[in-house]
Amino acid sequence: MISRLGGQTSVLFQHWLKRRIPAASQVRLNHRRIFIMPTRAGMGLLLLLVIMLIGAINYQNSLVYAVVFLLGSLFWVGLHHTYRNLAGLELQANGSLPVFAGEEAPLNLTLLSERREHQAIVLFWPSTPRRQVDVEPGLSTSLSLYYPSTRRGWLKPGRLRVETRYPLGWFVAWSLVDLDWQVLVYPKPLNLPLPGLQAGGAGEGDQLLAEGVDDFQGLRSYQPGDSKRRLDWRAWSRGQGLHSKVFAEPRHTSQWLTLEQTPGQSLEQQLSCLTGWVLQLEQRRRPYGLALPGNRIGPALGETHRDACLRALALHGVAR
Amino acid sequence: MSSHALIPRNSLVWLLTAQVVALMPHLPRLPLWVAVLWLGCAVWRVQIQRMRWRYPGLVVRMLALAAVTLGVYLTQGTLIGLDAAVMLLLMLFMLKLLEMRRPRDALVVIYLGLFIVATAFLFDQSIPLALFQCFSLLLLVAALVGLQQTPGRNDPARAMRMAGVLLLQAVPLMIVLFVLFPRMGPLWAVNAPGQQARTGLAESMTPADVAELARSGGLAFRAAFDGAPPVQSQLYWRAMTLSRFDGRTWSQSPLASGSMPRHWEPQGESYSYQVIATASHQPWVFSLRGASSDDERLLLNRDFILQARRPLNQGMAYRAMSYPASLLEPLELETQQRRLNLHLPEGFDPRSRDFAAELRQSHPDDADLLQALLRHFNREPFHYTLRPTPLGQHSNDEFLFDSRRGFCAHFAGAMTFVLRAAGIPARVVAGYQGGELNPRGNYVLVHQFDAHAWVEAWLPGQGWVSVDPTFQVAPERIERGLQEALQSEGSFLEGSPLAAVRYRNIGWLNNARLFWDDLNYQWQLRVLGYQSDRQSEFFRRWLGSADWQRIGLVSLVVLLLCMLPMAWWILRPARRPVSRQRRAWLKLNRRLARLQLQAATGEGPRAWQQRLMQTLPGQQAEISDFFDEYVRLSYATAPGAGEGSSRQLDLALRALLRALPRSRPPRPITLAGLPDE
Repeated sequence: MISRLGGQTSVLFQHWLKRRIPAASQVRLNHRRIFIMPTRAGMGLLLLLVIMLIGAINYQNSLVYAVVFLLGSLFWVGLHHTYRNLAGLELQANGSLPVFAGEEAPLNLTLLSERREHQAIVLFWPSTPRRQVDVEPGLSTSLSLYYPSTRRGWLKPGRLRVETRYPLGWFVAWSLVDLDWQVLVYPKPLNLPLPGLQAGGAGEGDQLLAEGVDDFQGLRSYQPGDSKRRLDWRAWSRGQGLHSKVFAEPRHTSQWLTLEQTPGQSLEQQLSCLTGWVLQLEQRRRPYGLALPGNRIGPALGETHRDACLRALALHGVAR
Repeated sequence: MSSHALIPRNSLVWLLTAQVVALMPHLPRLPLWVAVLWLGCAVWRVQIQRMRWRYPGLVVRMLALAAVTLGVYLTQGTLIGLDAAVMLLLMLFMLKLLEMRRPRDALVVIYLGLFIVATAFLFDQSIPLALFQCFSLLLLVAALVGLQQTPGRNDPARAMRMAGVLLLQAVPLMIVLFVLFPRMGPLWAVNAPGQQARTGLAESMTPADVAELARSGGLAFRAAFDGAPPVQSQLYWRAMTLSRFDGRTWSQSPLASGSMPRHWEPQGESYSYQVIATASHQPWVFSLRGASSDDERLLLNRDFILQARRPLNQGMAYRAMSYPASLLEPLELETQQRRLNLHLPEGFDPRSRDFAAELRQSHPDDADLLQALLRHFNREPFHYTLRPTPLGQHSNDEFLFDSRRGFCAHFAGAMTFVLRAAGIPARVVAGYQGGELNPRGNYVLVHQFDAHAWVEAWLPGQGWVSVDPTFQVAPERIERGLQEALQSEGSFLEGSPLAAVRYRNIGWLNNARLFWDDLNYQWQLRVLGYQSDRQSEFFRRWLGSADWQRIGLVSLVVLLLCMLPMAWWILRPARRPVSRQRRAWLKLNRRLARLQLQAATGEGPRAWQQRLMQTLPGQQAEISDFFDEYVRLSYATAPGAGEGSSRQLDLALRALLRALPRSRPPRPITLAGLPDE
């Protein structure tokens, strides 16, 4: 019952938070977005002040009173400084690259401060270690935060907690920002032998493939999507522009990859297996196509093709 | 602050400094081994930080704790009470260094430090200590800031700067709170800190045993009169009566401390004054004859002397009113009182008794006898000195008839003895006589060396009459003070060659001393003495009434008036850092605007330069110097690299500004040369 109630309040809180701090790739922290509370150290100070105040009253000691009041107003001044240390800070999400499930997804972030220095800014999600940075005024500080990816599909890390206790540690000012990050997580690749290749034939195929790669035909000007491995760096260094080497297409037939070929029991295992095969085939430069229920990608080679296949595998059956 | 973080070096630097500074005011009260212990702990902690030594194990720490507790017990004789508690706290403050691993432990040490800074004020409340403790607080706050800084930022000065800013910003609110926070009486009775040496008057006097009276230049109290103060020879500050005599020593009678109201008739001129007594750890307070006070902390004892209900463990300010010419108990003296004030022990001073009998025979009237006795002191060759001859068993006899050398206690004791022997009830009154007027603050300063003793005799119809035999012997002592009286002897404050009071004849030194004393007086009065009565007085003066609703409302308004601007000041938008070129550019354009020359929006420096050179042909060289420098700095240098050369820009700007005409050039400016945008 209580947990249900707690769940409801947390849902309500999330809802409220969503309206108050809507998701955006760039957020500037202001009074609407910053929360502030005394920390345990701050409460400890207040307790200390109460004890000292009782001493001041009992001993009728003006100077002990003065110490109590000085620390009391320091507490109040500290509140504003802690708030100020966070206010005006801008957070900007930068694009992020896909990762394989199980890897830590790097989330790129730029912290900007126009006018003021922001010291000891702590960034973290509830499940990640804390990262502390200082932001200089007029400069942008870029950093990558790492978020563990567990499942394939779209990874949306929850709200990032940005907090600071600077300068006195008696208050914590924080904000929960949703920088609208989403990272594509490919299935975790499984390294299983490719189907349709005999144990011996695999080597033969490799040979064939190797010859095919060496079958150099000529150069053509670079087009986006061409593999970096095929760039003619030598020509580029001579200042003749960027060119890709063109090879004769390998003569063997292309391979279709389907769910049925995979040995795995569950869909996730099957997709992992296909991911592994895609990577192997791409490495061996053997054209492949992917046939998933409802999604067919014709046989081809190259990074663009590989990424399209991996993306299809990652998003198979995932509602966008 | 994650739980696994280590203590940043920034914080540790300030923490160790703050610790030694916070301990310093306590060290003089503590045995030497405390300082040694601190040094040991600090060295150990530094070695831990340098990864040379390791943290002590549990056993070592427990042993250290036990040893320290034992040490406190041996030093203080107890583990209960404020002194022992403070000392134990200091020990924990030091030992905690050795188990300070995490920021959280450091926080505990800092909080202990704050507490220790405050406890020092229980023992001493002087201005120098207050200033010193500001410094301690600054260091502790710097340690606190260092704890929050990003680890690896090796910049302790920055933490210190931040701490200074924070503390300065906290001061206005502190002052408002200090003034407005309602003061109340103690919640429960507390023991005074310290078995400190009692200062000031002794509870008894044994003049016969004194070979040399050492007197200190310390302050006893200050008194501010509402009007003009009485002349010095009338400033007899009464502190206690000494009615019991055992043949050698005069001491207080327990009968005196009763507070039964006695009959007295105020007469003559009245004086209203405020006395600010220093902490003497004794119950004596000081008032002129015929005193009364509304102060609840005081009572009038049956010998007409104001007394504090509790020892003065800290400075105390009280108001009193005196009619020095009053009649005290004029109608009759109680039997018990009469017996007490006539009592003399058997077997002492036969010659004095004979002398009294002689006097009695020639002067049957008590008042006549009293005058005759005073004349005797005046006529006979008595000598006032602080180096009397030690006296034997019949001390009064030897003093009155043989040595005749002594100070106030000898004269007062001997006179009281003779009066009693002649059948006149008499007692010794101890207190202070005189005082130095500080013209700066218009108050009277009474030092310990002003301590004095005189005589009170009871005469029928007149009650208790004060007489001073010392006045008969050394009138300059009464009229101009001790220093004058001892000029030939040179024994004034012999034991304290550095006491500033000794050098009253050196003008500037004396002024400095009086200034410092006035500062202390105001401090004592306005800061230390700001308790419930002074606070309500303050409210009455400023608000017209001490009505709590009104005070509450006004306090709230004042608090807001202090807090809101302060909050605004802290949160004000920071100024955007402006580059030097930009500043120079703006400065030049402001100046040119006076000549009605303005850069068009979007006009670049070169175009603007062209136009200026056409309109101001006389300053072409300076203009092109400035703009060359400006363009070079803005466009040809890497950002941040132009520190040195921007000085050249400033120089060029200054030369240009100097060369520009004061007002608009007489020739109308043609806009023909304006380049197209």
